[in-house]
Amino acid sequence: MTEIKKLVKSLHPLERKILPFLAEGKTARELEKDSKLKDIEVMRSLQWLQNKEIVILDEELKEVIELDENGIKYAKNGLPEKKFLQELAKKNTLKVSEIKKVLGLSDEEVNICIGSLRKKVAIELKKEAELTATITEQGKKLLAKETFEEKFLQNKFPIELGHLKDESLFAFEELKKRKNIIKKILVKTIRVRLTETGKKLIKEKVDIDVTDALTSDILKNGSWRGKEFRSYDVKINVPKIHCGRKQHYRRFLEDVRRKFLALGFKEGAGPAVETEFWDMDALYMPQFHSARDIHAGYRIKEPKYGGKDIPPEVLKKVKDAHQTGHGTGSKGWGYEFDEQKTKTHVLRTHDTAISSRMLSSSKLEIPGKYFQIARCFRPDVIDAKHSVDFNQCGGFVIDEGLNFAHLKGLLKLFAEEFAETDQIKIRPDYFPFTEPSAALFAKHPELGWIELGGSGIFRPELVKPLVGKDIPVIAWGIGIDRMAMFKLGLNDIRNLYGHDFELLRNIKME
Amino acid sequence: MPTITFSFTDLQKLVGKKLDLDETKEIMWKCKGEVEGYDKDTDELKVDVADTNLPCMWSIEGVARTLKGALGIETGLPKIEIKKSKYELTVDKSVKDVRPYISAFVAKGHKVDDYLIKQIIQLQEKLCETYGKRRQKIAIGIYRYSKIKFPVHYKATEPESIKFTPLDFKKEMTQQETLEEHPKGKEYAWILEGKKKYPLLLDDNGGVLSFPPIINSNDTGKVEIGDSELMFECTGEDQESLLLATNIFAQAFFDRGFEIYSVKIKYPEKKDEIETPLIEEEEIKLDLKKIKDIIGIDIKEEKVKELLGMARYGYSKGIVKIPCYRKDVMHQVDVIEDIAIMHGYDNIETQPITCFTIGEQLPIIKTIDRCREIMVGLEYQEIFSPILTNKKTLFENMNTPEFNIVEIEKPMSDTYSVLRNWLIPILLEALSKNKHVEYPHKIFEQGLVVVNKKDGIKDYERIAAVSANHTADFTEAKQSVDLIMRMLGKEKEYHIEEVEHDSFIPGRVGRIVVGNTKVGYVGEIAPQVLTNLGIEMPVSGFEINLTEMTEKTRANQ
Repeated sequence: MTEIKKLVKSLHPLERKILPFLAEGKTARELEKDSKLKDIEVMRSLQWLQNKEIVILDEELKEVIELDENGIKYAKNGLPEKKFLQELAKKNTLKVSEIKKVLGLSDEEVNICIGSLRKKVAIELKKEAELTATITEQGKKLLAKETFEEKFLQNKFPIELGHLKDESLFAFEELKKRKNIIKKILVKTIRVRLTETGKKLIKEKVDIDVTDALTSDILKNGSWRGKEFRSYDVKINVPKIHCGRKQHYRRFLEDVRRKFLALGFKEGAGPAVETEFWDMDALYMPQFHSARDIHAGYRIKEPKYGGKDIPPEVLKKVKDAHQTGHGTGSKGWGYEFDEQKTKTHVLRTHDTAISSRMLSSSKLEIPGKYFQIARCFRPDVIDAKHSVDFNQCGGFVIDEGLNFAHLKGLLKLFAEEFAETDQIKIRPDYFPFTEPSAALFAKHPELGWIELGGSGIFRPELVKPLVGKDIPVIAWGIGIDRMAMFKLGLNDIRNLYGHDFELLRNIKME
Repeated sequence: MPTITFSFTDLQKLVGKKLDLDETKEIMWKCKGEVEGYDKDTDELKVDVADTNLPCMWSIEGVARTLKGALGIETGLPKIEIKKSKYELTVDKSVKDVRPYISAFVAKGHKVDDYLIKQIIQLQEKLCETYGKRRQKIAIGIYRYSKIKFPVHYKATEPESIKFTPLDFKKEMTQQETLEEHPKGKEYAWILEGKKKYPLLLDDNGGVLSFPPIINSNDTGKVEIGDSELMFECTGEDQESLLLATNIFAQAFFDRGFEIYSVKIKYPEKKDEIETPLIEEEEIKLDLKKIKDIIGIDIKEEKVKELLGMARYGYSKGIVKIPCYRKDVMHQVDVIEDIAIMHGYDNIETQPITCFTIGEQLPIIKTIDRCREIMVGLEYQEIFSPILTNKKTLFENMNTPEFNIVEIEKPMSDTYSVLRNWLIPILLEALSKNKHVEYPHKIFEQGLVVVNKKDGIKDYERIAAVSANHTADFTEAKQSVDLIMRMLGKEKEYHIEEVEHDSFIPGRVGRIVVGNTKVGYVGEIAPQVLTNLGIEMPVSGFEINLTEMTEKTRANQ
């Protein structure tokens, strides 16, 4: 098949309809008239033909004159000065106010009538008790004549400004001075130029028998046999659609969960409204610690206290650890532990609250590996890096014989699994509940060294009261919000929890 | 985490070695410090020190001391010499219920310049703000020794009885006026709230040194460039904390080249008398076997001693001597961490964790994921929102009275002042923010809500969805609920009951019941609610409590 035949086959019915009327230099408006298609149809088919490089569309902007609101009215009913004169001719002399009333003219129109009629010496005015007009001979002659302005209004609009000359130009200049009679507007004229292909194509027979759409009927009656289908422009842009989809951050968290399950970790959970006991005291954070100031955690109005789920014997041991070290070889924090304070409700400030619950649970398995993904809350000024409400991911590994070398092994594993890198740095850090403590840094290909998380070995003063014996427990946490931002290419934490539908619909899957 | 800044040149001078910046960044980890930045023009080094329990490290002198150890320039317990003196400070019994403790020393023999004054103020502020709980627990004052006549007197006085000129002020005022007018007074007045008398420090001529913990006097309490004799004083509620702060300062001044003279603190009771700084050598036993247990390295005692020396401990025969400026060592694990740090985390081998365990997710996750899968299949966009919200969103916009809400005490902003206890309002809020985005809007959220019930606060996992489009109606919403129930195999236990709910159009809202458990609502959102939110599109939707649906209905079977 020649290129031209192929082209013919790909034509849309609209294109086919307009093709016979195409000629060099024709405007879209002319084509509309010739083809009897609607303007939108002409425009679409011309656009498609341009895409197929059959025509080139040139746009010309021209200034044209259109009738405005009053112009339309006067074209239909006549100019007010003419009507004024006609009215006056009936009685020769009349009060201006009377004419105004009879003709229903505005003040402005009356002024124009008087001005223009006096200029043409068609009336004389007298100011007595009231303004009175008398028609002149000149005026009577004028009655029978059509003025340039009247003639002008009878034109077919729009008119190109460049086409005006002599009388019509004079009339235009006069009318332009008056309110809302004519207006100048810019109009776009689309003119067709034929390409080489186009010139060949218009000589072709285009009303060939192609089928536009495959329908159920055609399939049922078998009439598709032997028929040709119109070819499409398969490179054409089609309208954008959106799919139902999981939120990007939740999807990331699912991946994280799946990884932990694959690595043999069990998932833990705890309440969002915690007691200071599980959130802090059980983790051996002293009750006077600065991190426990009112600024570091949210208290709630009612009920202020909870703690029904604190086993009394565990509370006793934790208290003992704070006060005197609970026989771990530690001297303890050495202060009077407040049993009422420990029951104070607080919005969970960190995910480790869940670790302390699991460590004291009867379901704890040794050896055991645990993780949690938990919503946590801290008062903060909200900006690109801080949210009052955020996710943390952490957990612990418990087994006899674990030590710092295993902690390093665990961090290396996390870097490999979550940051896909083995370029890591493990550096000293501080957490109130671990000793030794370490921070994990991983090398990001673009951002350089970034902190991925922290880890440490839980202090014996924490482990013994909760587990009942001193056993190594490696605790760890991953900065999950931050990691998600890196992976998703976001630089504002609010985009992890935001409601921007454009972003939600369009963000790429990582 | 405290951030401190100091001159890089000064650091090298104190350490006694030329350091390059990269080397400094690396060695700074030995102090748990991360170099945040270095400004070449001002020579200013900015360091975040991670250990909030180790205030001795919040000054350049403390950092330099540890670096000297880590670099092997000077190891073991740092030298400190306290010269006995006749200086006395008397404590009146009136301070007992106001601010009971005080400690002090005198430092002589080193000229302070502008930079050193800034360093002193930095340590003073870090200690008082963080460790000292915004001056409540401890507050520190430093004075020109030359202006003071010993003995110094510490007492509590009537708020209007004494007049003095506070620092940086020109006029004399009473203590009460100071609290009300001086910027520091306004900032720290809360510490003295409810006290009938206020603390005051005077010299033997009756000149006011300071009004602790608020402000020094302008006469004696302003250290000037060129001063070489200073008096240090610390007041507070907890004697142990202020003795530690005193030792930290004494060691820092000593490291700078000052001679330190003790001050005898004479409390009303003879038995309470104490001479400060109080340098007591604390010790802790170290079980060498434990080092291997915790760090996983096999090292000989000689090496242990060397590493401990680098960390500025003393050591002899299983006993670790702790420097006077540390009170954080409670257990031998604290010492063992320092051994590990000085040994270098990089020099500890990496071992995989090999114990076999089976991964397991929370039971509810399965139901959650099934429901999310269905909603995505129905072409809904999932959203994920903060759990903190506000009453306007949950109730006022929704045309419904408040119910079962957990409210935050003293929230920082009203926008985030309660925990959400249902999800539909959150979804509608999201719709209201996206009116300019092409419709239809079909969104859902699965997540936590917190309900304040009579028998306690309960967490529930819920799912809710709303559809906003020209044809959104009850049928569309119920079709989704039906589908979920059918897919989860609950279609036989599930039915809809007629119900009234102010957020929905009357007669077009149903309660979702599974078994005997009421688990949610389905219906068309009331036009008043949509108008409240400026939504100009019909909306229908549903909300289901997944926790109750799975737990209760499983229990029924």
